[in-house]
Amino acid sequence: MNKFEGCPGSRMMDFNRTDEDNTGPAVGKIKSQLTQWPIQMHLINPSAPYYQGADVLLTADCVAYALGDFHREYLKDKSIAIACPKLDQGQDVYLEKIKAWIDDAKINTLTILIMQVPCCMGLLNLARQSADGAKRKVPIKYVVVGVQGEILQEEWGAA
Amino acid sequence: MEEYVNKGIKEIIDEFPEVEDILNDYDIGCGPCNVGICLLKDIVTIHQLPEDQERQLMARIAKAIHPEQDIRIPRAEKKTAAKPEGLKYSPPMKKLVDEHVLIKRWIALIPEVVKNLDVESEEGRRLILDGIDMIRSYADKYHHAKEEDILFKYFDEEADIIKVMHEDHTRGRALVKEMLAALEKRDAKTIAANLMAYRELLTEHIRKEDEILYPWMDNQLSTHQVGELFAQFDEVDRQIDVSPGKYEALINQLEKKIEKQQG
Repeated sequence: MNKFEGCPGSRMMDFNRTDEDNTGPAVGKIKSQLTQWPIQMHLINPSAPYYQGADVLLTADCVAYALGDFHREYLKDKSIAIACPKLDQGQDVYLEKIKAWIDDAKINTLTILIMQVPCCMGLLNLARQSADGAKRKVPIKYVVVGVQGEILQEEWGAA
Repeated sequence: MEEYVNKGIKEIIDEFPEVEDILNDYDIGCGPCNVGICLLKDIVTIHQLPEDQERQLMARIAKAIHPEQDIRIPRAEKKTAAKPEGLKYSPPMKKLVDEHVLIKRWIALIPEVVKNLDVESEEGRRLILDGIDMIRSYADKYHHAKEEDILFKYFDEEADIIKVMHEDHTRGRALVKEMLAALEKRDAKTIAANLMAYRELLTEHIRKEDEILYPWMDNQLSTHQVGELFAQFDEVDRQIDVSPGKYEALINQLEKKIEKQQG
């Protein structure tokens, strides 16, 4: 990257997709897999019934737009919260909410979906910090999504 | 410097334009950003630079902000890609792989134990009994029970790969039974043969699990099942009357003893 390209999180890019890029198998209306509201991290209550013992998805805001099959591949059968580690204010509250998921709601797993841009690592670091401070341990998986919707990395982290 | 670490990057660049060029040198292109509210400390953290580069970057920024101070700029090593570090296994599988470590340390000692086998003295028989206890309590009750009672239930137990694992466990138990009977008769030859057979069996068994079975299982398990397994293993560890620390101490002690014997 040279100095004119700027922050990878906000750099302008045109993917120049063609009609040929839209020849995937999905046809007809795709059903939403969202089973709760609200979803924004500031608005959610970590002790809401749908988080109890759940497999929770903590997703960076941009992920659902980049990832073509987000609902079917990742959201299905999970409870969710979304956040932007770059622009959201008051992220100390997020730390407490993640810890409450682990210790109080006794979630089963936590999956963090982030974009490949460096600022998204902030969400992963936040989740790790919360998990380290929690009394319980849960498996944490992270998924890194490319700006064109490709899965760049999908791995389990230390519980 | 402390006050700048908690300041928005746009504010810092406005006051010290040189900082933009310094950040560019590390592929951190904050200059053209219209938002610029990221704090300097967060920018440094989220770009996950190698430790030496991060130190160098901070020293260069500190020098730009406080040119009057004598700040040493450390030399940075070759750059490595910043990405989250993942595990080869899911957390429950990693737990089983980690439990293998102590078993492998024990089976590595078996040839020396066999070489100095003593079925006549109290101390010699104690050593054999401790080794057998390690196999029965730690390897079998603590570790294999997690596999047989929990993990294997998530799969088709008629699958060849699972049947082979069950057969290995059964064979191990039979070898232990024979060893105990041989110890009653002070039959050193049978004990030695069975210890070596156990070593061979478990070496291959652990290799199959670490390299084939667990990665295969990880590919089959859903995220939900991984969470369930993790919780169940955790529950077993809390409930079971086997203390891994006891067996770690035993192996430590035995390793030291053998090291001493070997001079």
